[in-house]
This record gives sequence, C-alpha cells and structure tokens, in this order.
Amino acid sequence: MIAFNRFKLDNGLTVIHHLDPTTPIAVVNTLYDVGARDESEDRTGFAHLFEHLMFGGSVNIPDFDAPLQFAGGESNAFTSNDITNYYDTLPVQNIETALWLESDRMLSLAFTKKSLEVQRNVVIEEFKQRYLNQPYGDVWLELRPLAYREHPYKWATIGKEIKHIEEAEMDDVKAFFKAHYHPANAILCVAGNISLEKTTELVNKWFGDIPASLKPERMLPREPLQKEYREKIIERAVPNDAFYYAFKMPERRSFEYYVADIISDALGREKSSRLYGKLKKELKLVTSINAYITGSMDEGLLVIDGKLSDGVTFEQLETALWETLDELNAHPMSDEEAARLLIKIRTAKEFQEQGLLNRAMNLCIYELLGDANGVNEENTLYQSITAKQIQELGKTMLRRENCSVLRVKAIQA
Amino acid sequence: MMHRHTQPTVHPVQHIDFIKPHVFDVTEDVRLLWMKDVPNDTVRLDLFFDAGIIRGDKSIPAIVHSLLFSGTATKSSVEIHESIDALGGFLDTDLSFETAVVSIYCLRENLDKIALLVGEAINGLSFRESEVEDTLRSMGQKFRENQQKVRNVSQQQFRRLLFESHEDYSTLAQVSDFDEVNYTAMKHYFKDHYLNGLTRITLVGNVEQDSVDALIDLFGKWAVDCQPVFGKSFETTQKRNHFLVDGAVQTAIRMGKMMFPKNHPDYIGFQFLNTILGDYFGSRLMSNIREDKGYTYGIGSVIMELHNDGYFVIVTEVGKDVTEATLIEIQFELKRLQEEPVSGEELDLVRNYMLGQLLKSADGPYAMLDMYNSVDMYGIDLGFYDRAIAEIRAMQPERLQELAKTHLNWEDFLIVTAG
Repeated sequence: MIAFNRFKLDNGLTVIHHLDPTTPIAVVNTLYDVGARDESEDRTGFAHLFEHLMFGGSVNIPDFDAPLQFAGGESNAFTSNDITNYYDTLPVQNIETALWLESDRMLSLAFTKKSLEVQRNVVIEEFKQRYLNQPYGDVWLELRPLAYREHPYKWATIGKEIKHIEEAEMDDVKAFFKAHYHPANAILCVAGNISLEKTTELVNKWFGDIPASLKPERMLPREPLQKEYREKIIERAVPNDAFYYAFKMPERRSFEYYVADIISDALGREKSSRLYGKLKKELKLVTSINAYITGSMDEGLLVIDGKLSDGVTFEQLETALWETLDELNAHPMSDEEAARLLIKIRTAKEFQEQGLLNRAMNLCIYELLGDANGVNEENTLYQSITAKQIQELGKTMLRRENCSVLRVKAIQA
Repeated sequence: MMHRHTQPTVHPVQHIDFIKPHVFDVTEDVRLLWMKDVPNDTVRLDLFFDAGIIRGDKSIPAIVHSLLFSGTATKSSVEIHESIDALGGFLDTDLSFETAVVSIYCLRENLDKIALLVGEAINGLSFRESEVEDTLRSMGQKFRENQQKVRNVSQQQFRRLLFESHEDYSTLAQVSDFDEVNYTAMKHYFKDHYLNGLTRITLVGNVEQDSVDALIDLFGKWAVDCQPVFGKSFETTQKRNHFLVDGAVQTAIRMGKMMFPKNHPDYIGFQFLNTILGDYFGSRLMSNIREDKGYTYGIGSVIMELHNDGYFVIVTEVGKDVTEATLIEIQFELKRLQEEPVSGEELDLVRNYMLGQLLKSADGPYAMLDMYNSVDMYGIDLGFYDRAIAEIRAMQPERLQELAKTHLNWEDFLIVTAG
C-alpha cells in the first residue's frame, strides 16, 4: 500500500505527496501529458527532442543540471509515445532546489539557439546509436506503420526519420512549449521524508505563480478496426532471420488491458512460458522468443518476437506459432498456470515498490489514468482475472485479422 | 521573498550511516553476509562462484554459466523453471571477468523452497544433449549478432589488448566455440568452478535464522577449498588499433590504461578526478563532447576494479566523421586537468554531488549490502567509506592536478576504435 495525499493549485497543477520517513533521499517527479502521439505527422520526434531541450536552461536559470548536482542530486527523463517524464533524486534536505529548477522550466525555457543546434545533433546521434547502428535496430520504425494506419502510434518516439529532427526550428519549439508545458498539463509528485505541510508550502511558493493555460484537448485520429492479416518482409544485413507478430490490444484504461498483459506473460515472459517451451525447447525452431505488451494509453500492441534457428523457414514458424496461439484460445488456462503467472506479478510488484522513484512515477502515471490510487488496486485487479476472461480476450485478440507481421530476412552485407 | 535567479540554500550531506551485515563463516574461506533489516517481504539471495570468464578458454565459462538451469537427470529445464516460477521466484545470472553470480529474487515465504530447487538444479546438472545444443545455438547466434555492434567489438578488442600479458584475461570468444561441444571439458569445469567453486553468499531479507542456517547447509558444500588466485602486474604494449565493422554509421571508442587496486592510496582521490572528467552528467567530457559539440549521445569514464588491480576506461560512440575530432577533445580535457587547477566552484559542485551519490548508494538494505560487498570483496572494511567522505571533503585543486599528472598522460593510453 502506497499512501499519498493529493492537492491541486489554482493554476491547475496536480500535486501528489508521498511520505517515506525511512530514506534520506527525496524524489521530485514531473509528468507532462504529452508524447510522440501529440506530434504532427510532418514534425515527428519532436516530443523527445523537446525533452533534451528541457535541460538546456530555463528563463531564470542558465543551466539545469549544475545546481542540482551542487545539491547532491541528479536528474533524467524519458519520452514515450504517450508521456514525457522528468525526475530528480537528491538528499531530502535540498529538495527545494529541485522544486526551484522544475518550476522555472515549467514557467519558461531559455530557448537558446545553441541549445537547439547541439541537441539536434545529440538526438541524431541517439537515432544512429539506437536505431541504425544496431542489428535489428530499425524494426520498430517498420513495424509501427504496418500495425497502425491512422493513429500517431504509427511513428516511433525518436521520429519517423532523421530529416524531421534536422528541420526542427525555434518557432516549432516555442509553440510546442506553449501548448504542452504548463501546470494544467502536468502532474508533480514530491516523495520522501517531507511533511504534507512543508510540501504544500514549497510547491505553492515555487509553482503557485506560474500562469495557467488551458489543457490542450487531444483529438487523435482513431485507428480503424483492423480487418486483414498484414505482412511485410524486409531484408537486412543481420546474422539471422527475425520475426515480429503484433496484435492490437485493449487500451490502458480498460480491464482487458490487464488480461492482455497476463496473456503475454503466459505466451512468452519466462522460460516456463508456452512459446518458449514449445517453439524453442521442444521444436527448436527459434533461438529466442518473447511476448510482451507496449503498455500504450490508446489501443496498444501485444508483440511476439524472436529469431529463427539456422535452416528454419518463416513458414515452419508460422504454423507452429499459430498452433500455440490457437491452443490458448481453445482451452481455458489451468489453475496451476494462472497461479504461476499471478504470483510472479505479485512478487515483481513488491520489488518495484521498494524504490522511491518507482513509487513516485507510478503515482503520477496512475493519476494521469484517472486516480493515483490505482497503483494500490492494480494487484487486486490482476488477481481477479479468470481463465474464462483470458480465453475470451484471446479469441478476439490472437487472430490473423488482428495481426501485423514483420519479417526480417537476413542477407549478406 | 523568492528570487528565481538564486538557488535555495544547499545543505551538504554531513553524515552517512554505513551498516554492516551479519557475517557467518560457511568455511574458513567462504562467508555468508546477511542484511536482515528489510521493511517488506522481499528477499535477494546471491551465490558467488569462482567461475569468471578468466577461468577457462573456448567460452567454456560462459557456456556452463548459461547451462546452470538446463536440467537434471529427472527434470528438464522447463520443469525447473516451472517449479521456481510457481513460487514467484526470479532467477538472474551474471558473468564477469573474475566472478560468476547466481541471484534469486523472491518473497520471504518462498525462499526456503526456492533455495532447495536451485540447489537441486545445480547439484544435479546433467548436461542433457538437446539442452546443450539449444543453448549453444542461441549463444552462437547472439555472438554473431554482437560482432555487428561497434560497442561490443571495441570492448572485446580493448580487453584483449589491455590484458595482453595474461592469456586468461585476454582470450576472446570465437564463433567456433559454439559449434563444437566438449562435454568432458564442460563437466570438469562445472565440477571445479561450481560444485567446488562457491566463494561467498549474500542475503538481503527479513527471514528467520533457521533459513540462514539452511542456506549454509545447502550451499556450503560447494565452498572453494582455498582462496582463489587472481592475476596481477598486467602490461600493455599496444597504443592505437582500429577494427573494421561493415556498414557502421558510428565509431565506438574505448581508451584506457591499467591503474591500481581499490586499496591504493590514490584510489579515492582518483575517483574524484574521474567524476570531474567523465563520471556524471555535468562532467567535462559530457559538457564538451556532447553538450557543446553534439558529437555523441553519451560519453563517460569509469574505474573498473579487479581483485589485484584496476583499470580506467573512457567509453563512447560517436558519428564516424568526428572520431578524430573526439579524440582531440579527449586529449584536450586530459591536458586541461594536468595544467589548470580545478575552480573552487567546480570543486564544490563535484564534492557535494559525490557525497549525495554516496548517501544514495547507502540507502536501504539492498544498496547497503552491495556497498559492503564492493569493499569486502577486496578485503577492505567499511572504514573505506568514512575515509572516502573525509577525503572528498578535504579535496584540493593541487591534489587533483597532481593526480592528473601522474595518471592521465595521453601517451600511456591504449586507444581502440571500432566502426
């Protein structure tokens, strides 16, 4: 159980306070309700580029990191297709420095030309390092537009192509900030050995006078219902053939989201999972196989990926894989298997909740979903899932007409 | 009155509580360290073996390490994993230069049973043919994949050249290691380095004393007969080497040199110098090469510890057209540390930062056990950290400059690039 308090400032900032008297370290986590899905199609990669710019100095403070490091702390951030999340950890006695820094960059950035130029280069190198200079690094750049036709999930957080990042202009940066970086579009969590009174006082002091803006209305194109089996094959200079089966799955806020998560565990999370046992250990068709979900806010993906053993064809895999999926749809899961999946979820959650930063982030994410207390109800939700619900969702989800397959054919360089 | 231009008052870290785990002698050479004070139901158990990469050739250490849960005479690997999963256990294994580790994460109510299953799986490891083949197939494929990664190629070649004076430290894996199966070699290695190779047990968890006694009984029989011996007096003769990776759009750089073991009088001071140079986000290498030039997504430097020695390494991946420009900037930064005293402002920043990080590294029973382990492994006591705090507080620019002149001479470095 993660105890917390919640309050809202007049300018619309939602604040969550979580007291942990056992640690000398505090966390300030700031979630902005903006991600790559909020970009326009001809300016992709922008939410993430912007995350880099948030460290390039704010209106009153020339450098973000140095004062935080001087206070004994450090900071980082990540961008997904859905959100942008910034976090600071530091000795609790210096927590005010983090609030000072976060509030100033919420107020306004410095918008220097130098920062934009350099971060454009840094992000381009990140693009190369993660997506271009790794075997199989670009598969998500291919898989997303195959699985999504309309919804902005069709491009990756890093962006569709390097060109979009090269072309980012200062005016775009300013407009993006104005639309998305203001109190009503943010959730702040203050966690550590600090009282609610002190938190209220400090948050009001630093964030209270930031002008209010209206929360932008999100009007994303709805992804049309998929009705056909989609396949694409690409050739790459990689050592082995690889495959990616992506199934549309329910959105984050639905109960079925959790059911889909269990299904992915059953199929390919552990070495006791169905696909691992059947396709790798028994039939030896693959050298690796995994199943996981993207965890997206809107309609997401359940993905099965892996690499073929030498001499095995995509067709051999195709047959065996569908047999395993059909098997899951045909018979209710045994109590034994369900219990095994559920105790792993419970154990993993206990470990995750040990970390103060994890707790702070999860509180913010659940608040974004509607209620921070969701973090305390998650395990009960999982434990309530029945074999029947699993089978029913499996039947609607694990079908060819709901699937997009990307195959990577290995060729000589 | 608030001033947005002025940083709120900063209070440097004054004191850190370092907590010693309970220590039990398993044998004369092997101990169990136990951190009992955990405020929840989680448990971590680590088994350390004298089975690091240096202990064998033809990738035998890596192969046997991967096979630890691959089945016994009566149970397949899937059955073993099913039984551990059914108790909510997570297994993790780690193989480094000088050590191999098997870790179990679970809830305390399940520790006893999971430990028995792990004991049974390792004790009874039978090298089933189909499992061995499956593992070798996966490892061979992964190896070929890694050969396409500039980071991996530079890391391997750097290691080979840095440790060239010691064969066991510099032998690299070959793709053929995963094609031929040598059961006799694997079985011998397993017996010597696992069934008679346990060097240490660590436990974090609010469990009963009975559980600890049971762990000692269960795993104590794998204890080493005597203290393992590790390499020392390494010599490097190479200066600069490039390795071609087809189609790469970035070049990986690894440059470094042998340093000293953790008990060396310069260790803490050099750690301070290393932080300034490349071990935090605001470091000189990051400020110059990423934040000013935009040549890379990241660059860092680190001191790596070995039992009898240590080495220093700078790591980055840069656009292939700026490889030389990056090396020139690295050289510039090393020289600057030798020639210019560090400013009072930077000194205070790094001082506070390091103390803050030390506080964080000691936060909670898991972090504290790791911290204890990372000195105790090298025969150093917890007083190390009190000395570190004192030295960090007292650090002066002259001392840093002196350390830079002794340890950061450009001509002493081995430079490996891959791309």
